[in-house]
Amino acid sequence: MIGVDEKVTKLTFKFQRRTEPSRLGQALAVPVALVAALAVSSILIRAAGANVAEALEAMYLGAFGSQNALLETLVQATPLIFTGLAVTVAFRARIWNIGAEGQLVAGAITAYWASVTFSGLPSIALIPTVLFFATVGGALWGIIPGYLKVRFEADEIIVTVLLNYVIQYLLSYLLSGPWRDPNAFFIQTRLLPEAATLPILFSKSRLHLGFVIALTVAFVAYVLLWKTSLGYEIRALGYRPNVARHKGINVAKTIVLVMAISGAIAGLAGGTELFGIHPRLRLDAMHGFGFTGILVALLGRLHPGGVVLAAILFGALVNGSSRMQIVTGVPVALVYAIQSIVILFLMAADGLSRFQLRKR
Amino acid sequence: MMSDLLQATFVVGVLAGMFRVATPVLFAALGELITERSGVLNLGVEGCMLVGGFVGFLVAILSGSLWAGVAASMAGGAVMGILVAFMSTTLKVEQIVTGLSLNLFASGITFYWYRVVFRSDEITNIPTITPFRPIEIPFLSEIPYLGELLFSQYALTYLALLLVPVIWFLLYRTKQGLHLRCLGENPRALDMRGVNVTRLQYLAVVFGCMMAGLGGGFLTTVSVGLFIPGITAGRGWLAIVIVIAGNWKPQQILAAALIFGFLESLQLNLRGLGQELPYQIFLALPYIVAIAILIRGRMRSEAPLSLGVPYLRE
Repeated sequence: MIGVDEKVTKLTFKFQRRTEPSRLGQALAVPVALVAALAVSSILIRAAGANVAEALEAMYLGAFGSQNALLETLVQATPLIFTGLAVTVAFRARIWNIGAEGQLVAGAITAYWASVTFSGLPSIALIPTVLFFATVGGALWGIIPGYLKVRFEADEIIVTVLLNYVIQYLLSYLLSGPWRDPNAFFIQTRLLPEAATLPILFSKSRLHLGFVIALTVAFVAYVLLWKTSLGYEIRALGYRPNVARHKGINVAKTIVLVMAISGAIAGLAGGTELFGIHPRLRLDAMHGFGFTGILVALLGRLHPGGVVLAAILFGALVNGSSRMQIVTGVPVALVYAIQSIVILFLMAADGLSRFQLRKR
Repeated sequence: MMSDLLQATFVVGVLAGMFRVATPVLFAALGELITERSGVLNLGVEGCMLVGGFVGFLVAILSGSLWAGVAASMAGGAVMGILVAFMSTTLKVEQIVTGLSLNLFASGITFYWYRVVFRSDEITNIPTITPFRPIEIPFLSEIPYLGELLFSQYALTYLALLLVPVIWFLLYRTKQGLHLRCLGENPRALDMRGVNVTRLQYLAVVFGCMMAGLGGGFLTTVSVGLFIPGITAGRGWLAIVIVIAGNWKPQQILAAALIFGFLESLQLNLRGLGQELPYQIFLALPYIVAIAILIRGRMRSEAPLSLGVPYLRE
């Protein structure tokens, strides 16, 4: 290590790079990152001219203060569980799918199309159909960058980012043209078919079937990654791509498959969120879930269980921040800053856990 | 419609707009060129632009000086650059994840800061500044067509165009440029010759992010005169594509930036004509072209060999 090295050599200690990251350091990274992010958040709340303790208390009460608050936290967590899992499956294979944001929109588009096309079906058949088409839309939007990567070596990071913008404009076109509700001032669709909306789990809350599906998908993702041969291939690809190639793994096929699965899960986020929460399909309704999913996956250490916990934490932040804004005037936007600050500290802590302090 | 398209005023309008629209991505792409030549793959360009754009707008509105805003946008980019360099050069964290996180950090922190400073959620009351006016070069700007095209642009546009030969000279005709190019190819060789690898990488990354910040500052102090969260709208990513399309060479990067500038300028000018195609097609076009470029861009002959690979001294 150079930069640090040269400064510290004058003391009797020096930083040395470890061959393997320290286990203790890795274990401590998440709590350390959370505490550090809390400290920075306090500074940001102070900067907004509010009382830190008051703001944090309001946030806590808003997120967990009552049964209703807790259920609403789970509502906010639901799409993040999906997108976090979508990112996890891809990142495990070191395929950098930054496109969950767009795949979610693709899923919402195909789900809406299915709900209108098959609107004659009874609820019990319509809901599975709609959700099936949500996964198809997401998967297709994920397969495109996967195929371009395999066939043309087009970098999937940039392609997925660019496709996020493309699908947004496609949605904008559909909403302002063919799907537009002619009686509405805003560009949005007509009301979603009643029969397609997801059942609510607890009366007087907004928690819908999507939450149960999200937990199920988390379990399935765990089984997929650790108990199947495809999961082994995915993790092998992420760990040592060259070795994976020599072990006879069809890398091209795996890459496209991973992007399809990842996109399908993200599409499901769009389908469940749309038919669980929203009255109509609109342009800005589901903004940011895909990007936050990246942070959720990283905080959850690319493990389905961790993803669920991280999604609930981030859902709590979003939910609690509304009350914080009402009570103290600190803008809700704070949470978006906090979420990324947690991850920056987490990565810094990970980086540091690869160093050790040695006596010279 | 066709006759409208062929009118000279329309063509000149599109081409003059091309230089203006290309300016922010050109700044960001030239910066990213320097960053990537040092071996660091900074995917946080979008975030650097956003921070630069916000800080530039904020300082311009508070100080009343547009040039103070421009300086601040560079400073904002530089601060992001220090973060990028610290994570990738010092801590040697995965550069892809660093860049992505910094983008989200930038979008979160500017959104929050904007709300804290301006406090209003109403759409009716968006704070604005009076943006820069183009500089009309005496006599030359009065030449028919050519005057509007080349000699009534913004000061920062001239600066961006001037930066192309300057960066070419720096890269290919100076010792520092040689070191920089070597750094992205074979950092060990450079280290053995006694060059301070860390320092050079820090300088390159901070300069790169400063240019991205300046590109963001151009958006708020020249193009629109206001700040909206997410105003960069993917331009940072286009800058990364432009570096690839330009094969890591300044003159080709200029050409690629102008192509994107042309597409966006065409879309802006066509909107005024009321054409029949849905306007979203034109909005999506730059991103689709960018994907097409990535498909064709397999021969990355000039890509730095050690791009994205942290250098570890044994």
